[in-house]
Amino acid sequence: MNGYMIITNNPMVRDKLGETHNVVYQEISYEDILKDVRDRIHEGHTLLSHPLSGSVKPNETPYKSIMVSEKKGAVDAQGLAIIENAIQACGKFVFRSDKYKPEVYGDFQLIDLTLIESGITSADTQMWSEH
Amino acid sequence: MRLEMGHIYIKDIQFASESKIEDGILYVSEEAVKAVALEDEKIKSVSLDIAKPGESVRITPVKDVIEPRVKVEGRGGIFPGVIAKVDTVGEGKTYALKGMAVVTAGKIVGFQEGIIDMTGPGADYTPFSKTLNLVMVCEPVDGIKQHDYEAAVRFAGFRVATYIGELARELTPDETKVYETCTIKEGMEKYPDLPRVAYVQMLQSQGLLHDTYVYGVDAKKIVPTILSPTEVMDGAIVSGNCVSACDKNPTYVHLNNPVVHDLFEQHGKTLNFVCHIITNENVYLADKMRSSDWTAKLCKMLDLDGVIVSQEGFGNPDTDLIMNCKKIEAEGVKTVIITDEYAGRDGKSQSLADADPAADAVVTGGNANQVIILPKLDKVIGTLDYVTKIAGASEETLREDGSLEVELQVLTGATNETGFNKLSAR
Repeated sequence: MNGYMIITNNPMVRDKLGETHNVVYQEISYEDILKDVRDRIHEGHTLLSHPLSGSVKPNETPYKSIMVSEKKGAVDAQGLAIIENAIQACGKFVFRSDKYKPEVYGDFQLIDLTLIESGITSADTQMWSEH
Repeated sequence: MRLEMGHIYIKDIQFASESKIEDGILYVSEEAVKAVALEDEKIKSVSLDIAKPGESVRITPVKDVIEPRVKVEGRGGIFPGVIAKVDTVGEGKTYALKGMAVVTAGKIVGFQEGIIDMTGPGADYTPFSKTLNLVMVCEPVDGIKQHDYEAAVRFAGFRVATYIGELARELTPDETKVYETCTIKEGMEKYPDLPRVAYVQMLQSQGLLHDTYVYGVDAKKIVPTILSPTEVMDGAIVSGNCVSACDKNPTYVHLNNPVVHDLFEQHGKTLNFVCHIITNENVYLADKMRSSDWTAKLCKMLDLDGVIVSQEGFGNPDTDLIMNCKKIEAEGVKTVIITDEYAGRDGKSQSLADADPAADAVVTGGNANQVIILPKLDKVIGTLDYVTKIAGASEETLREDGSLEVELQVLTGATNETGFNKLSAR
């Protein structure tokens, strides 16, 4: 497909991008998405988008989508360092992503979608060897 | 480039039948301002309010804070590429209304950001408790998409600020300051013995409520480039972000960027302020690598001795910050980085999500996880409905006595990473 896949627990990403992109949707926590991606990097996938958001903090939003390469190669050392730091950062925030009113979840899904879409826009104009 | 900034001090804001500025008092016609805001059909209604320092007023959810300005001489107009037509700004004469701001508010997403308290402990943490605030709460038409609503409120704020700024066009400023930059060659000849210093400003550029615009261009689509430092004083950079309001730069901060102003203070005395380099903070890792490569390359090509790097936001921008710092230092250019900290409520966790030994000169804007109790205030402009959903808050935030237990993250500008506020550490 596009040379990359999107690892996500966000149903809006699955619904909006699932038909046109390689989306791996799992009903797991934010932190487990990070750990899933870490494991894939160990298997040789390259980390393509940053696992932390610019503002919405881990444990505040329950949703995360991350891009990794479809192809496997040598272990991406930089990606591994970034994902390990992100997993560590999760511990700094008081867990409360189960404490919102129902209507807020859709907005969190939308923000995560726009963040990954900005990554997709970049990826689709840069078809170089990493993906 | 030479820019003369005329400061007009506003002592009070009052609603009146006609908009004008007289003896330092801004009179605002509600009807006229509403008409300006409602030019966009995506906005259904707008309510206006005035909040003054010391009043028992809480403004939330804040989207942007804007200082009204007007271009009276020279090329272009305020907010080029956004309100004024595209033209290079930063020269001639500009007037700014000091001591006041236009504040936009409105619920765009359900975990909306930003509190400005005009009194009490919260007021000590937000710089915008000290300005006279003309607040616009914008309601969208039904069924609007969040993207369209965000853009509508953003533009409405700039239109109203421009309308207010125009009222000052024929006035005589209370104070005038001149900012003058040299070309590269002139600077080398004029200040051969002074260190060559630039400002590297990182702009958040990631998606809805996480964006910044340069001359109307979405900053995620720029490559690092050079501005004359006076360009931002005419609104070359505007804000589209407000999530985790403590460390986002409202447009007001771009217009009054303290790093730019402090470097100008030292220009020709202790250093040669060469230029303002802007770069972005994208989601895609290859973008981060390219932007930091280019930033370091520009620093090298300009033969800089040192740079000050300011970050915007937290989390993935920590990676951009450290990439910039490492690569610029590797070119033999000294760096000082300005950031803020997410060190946990107890302050004991690692402050940044990335680090490097090259980052050995760091200025902090404070710990955004620090907990603060905001007492109940008499009046709310906007709505408290969203306070429980903003970053640093939860459903348990609103306590029985009406006070709020929140982290500093919720207060607009509390841990600003250009040093616009007062928090730091030694």
